Amino acid sequence: MIEMEWALIIGFIAAGIRTSAPLMLASLGETIVERGGILNLGIEGAMLISAFTGFMGAFLSGNLWIGLLMAILGGILTVITFGILVVRINLDQVVSGLAINLLAAGLCLYFFRLAFSQGAFPYLSELIGPYPIPLLSQIPVIGEVLFNQTIFVYVGIVSVPITYYLIFKTSYGLKLRSVGEDPLVASYLGIEVSKIRYTALILEGIFVGMAGGLLCLSMFNVFDTRIVAARGFVAVSIVILGRWNPVGAFAGSLLFGFTEALSLWIGTFLIGPESASISQLLSLLPYLVTLIALLIGGRRVRGPAALGSPFSKE
Amino acid sequence: MLTPLFFLKRSRVEVPTTQADQPPGSELALYVKGVNKTYPNGIVANRDVSISIMKGEVHAILGENGAGKTTLVKIISGCLKPDSGEIYIDGRRVEIDSPLKAVSLGIGMVHQHFTLIPSFTVAENIALSLPLTGRLSLDQVKERIRSVSEALNLKIDPDARIEQLPVGLRQRVEILRLLCQDVRILILDEPTSVLTPIEVEDLFKMIRELKSKGKSIIIITHKVREALTISDRVTIMRGGRVVKTLTTKETNESELASLVVEGFCPSLKIEHVRRGEPLLIVKDLRVKGDRGEVAVKGVSFVLHSGEILGVAGVAGNGQKELVEAITGLRKADSGTILVRNFDLTNRSPKTIIKNGIAYIPEDRMRRGVILTMSVSENLVLKNFEDPPYSKKMIMDKEAMERSASELITKFGIKASDPWISVNSLSGGNIQKLVVARELSNGASILVAEQPTGGLDVKASEGVHQKMMELKSKGVGILLVSADLDEILKLSDRILVIFEGRIVGEFSRDNCDMKKIARLMLGASA
Repeated sequence: MIEMEWALIIGFIAAGIRTSAPLMLASLGETIVERGGILNLGIEGAMLISAFTGFMGAFLSGNLWIGLLMAILGGILTVITFGILVVRINLDQVVSGLAINLLAAGLCLYFFRLAFSQGAFPYLSELIGPYPIPLLSQIPVIGEVLFNQTIFVYVGIVSVPITYYLIFKTSYGLKLRSVGEDPLVASYLGIEVSKIRYTALILEGIFVGMAGGLLCLSMFNVFDTRIVAARGFVAVSIVILGRWNPVGAFAGSLLFGFTEALSLWIGTFLIGPESASISQLLSLLPYLVTLIALLIGGRRVRGPAALGSPFSKE
Repeated sequence: MLTPLFFLKRSRVEVPTTQADQPPGSELALYVKGVNKTYPNGIVANRDVSISIMKGEVHAILGENGAGKTTLVKIISGCLKPDSGEIYIDGRRVEIDSPLKAVSLGIGMVHQHFTLIPSFTVAENIALSLPLTGRLSLDQVKERIRSVSEALNLKIDPDARIEQLPVGLRQRVEILRLLCQDVRILILDEPTSVLTPIEVEDLFKMIRELKSKGKSIIIITHKVREALTISDRVTIMRGGRVVKTLTTKETNESELASLVVEGFCPSLKIEHVRRGEPLLIVKDLRVKGDRGEVAVKGVSFVLHSGEILGVAGVAGNGQKELVEAITGLRKADSGTILVRNFDLTNRSPKTIIKNGIAYIPEDRMRRGVILTMSVSENLVLKNFEDPPYSKKMIMDKEAMERSASELITKFGIKASDPWISVNSLSGGNIQKLVVARELSNGASILVAEQPTGGLDVKASEGVHQKMMELKSKGVGILLVSADLDEILKLSDRILVIFEGRIVGEFSRDNCDMKKIARLMLGASA
């Protein structure tokens, strides 16, 4: 009996980490661009596009890894499109981000319909499953929780120190932060603001591509235009909550991942006629926690000074 | 048409190595020839400007606001592209198309608005401008800062955050940064405008030290005395043209002043009319500062009609909070503010404006104007809801333009068009605009906070003139200024504020400058 409970708790923790993976990847990417002064609300649409390209890639080729590659490409392309709008054409970042989201939803629906006839229900016959790390996964408890996960979780966790190093310990990171604080000053010092920002956007594209791709390739085996379910927006709030620091973003992602896992977990115990409506209500939990966490942790924080403001030299 | 281009490319440009106005025995470091620049808004900022800078020379460029000094040095430092003109460094023709290129050629500029990132440390700020790649080794940068700063005897903590440093040290960081980049020609744009007198002395000491190390320094200023104190030669600019270049030793204050402002002679008449009835009564006012400390600790005074009441004090002794409470920008904790026996304590700024209180704020860029809006719009910001500017909620652009054109001429605002955005005006002209708006809307009380800060002689004189005019019409003026000369010149009565309290009151007849200065520093009189 006690063993049963243990297994349940371990399973819950492992699930929590698993559900945080897309948020982890997306919020790390968003942390990078926001440090460079770009608020990318189009991250939601970028995740949707990469979920779609990932699904199509895997479905058509029959290879999940080709799917992942396509997802990353989709992510990079969408984020770069956003980048051209805000860096090159200098449009308002918020409006451009929302436009990207609308465009993404429209494009995905259109091409999905174009590819599959009405009523068809395409699905992937397999998913990118957990990859137990030899030896480490044998460690009791920790092995199950940390080392019997999908590749996305591993990449997410390893990326935390890498991103931290990039932002705070490299000269690129220093330039990136200066561009986020005051792009005009940075340009006076000979820093190529657009080059720095495009680089950051490509990095975000890779992260977002993985985050979106994993939804279709590892979490669900079908595509739906509602599949991202505001995870992109949640990632944006995680960045604020994590104070534009990769470690903070990691912690924030875990918080939401666990809340999501919790709401699903409670849902499985519900029996009876009202269970459907209650589990619907429970699925609101992560968003509610976002709101509460922002109310508590999002006040009096100072982000990059130039975040969200358009920049032109003249 | 190919031939002339080919010819131009191949022919050796005649390289000037000496100049007619070059002092004997010195080497030319920088030569600028025939620079022209017209801004997109039609303002001609530089007309055929030529200037030569020697090695190891301090060269002052002297002129009024809008004389084209800043434009010239922005061109030299690669921040602006000239329409035409040539630049030679060490006798070689160069094309300076970016600040980075300028630095690589040994030219660096300290802007009037600093180009430092406040949330970064000194070392991080300096690292930004060094050609670094890969792993960031701040220790190396700190080592470089140490070696450069020790050679010049400048103390700086490389780990200090810029936002925690006083302005004088921030400027030092800017200069250090250029030196870390091996700059040989340093340009300082109005470097003393933000400094306290002691910091100015430090700066001048540093400039002399740099000069002794063979660096050339170009210093831009509108203060004649400053140019005389620090420079070896001085170039006077007026209306975008170079008027003359003189050897500092061979000139004097009055010659320079007359060259800067053609036919200028101070002509302000100070009249002291008998003061009228009380207009503004402040009783036992207590106001909290930004950090929750009590900044104004029970201040009481009466301002009469036709009186200029000066508030003297070192900045940061509660003047800001006092002014903000009177103008409705900050809540008063206790006490009363009465205007003609009408209680205006903690009322909205709008009510306060409607009751005839005009305000010239110290921070004119943020509080005085809306930078992205036009001159005409800014001029009616406080009365656009009233006729003739609005009729039944419809704005009358013609009425706005008429009054704007009138004020532009009357106050000498340099704006080519009433509808250009305030952004394109120089700092001095923006102040003129604020003054024009505040002084022309028929207020009975004026709160003036550093009204001539950053203005040149002529513009300051204009503001003072206008204040005297208002006074003779019965307006009561509360003049808050850190410039004791200004207070002494204009005030009928002087209050001295120290740590939130009025510590002394002087009438015009019994005022003693030394006594006031002592009180300002907290000593007992």
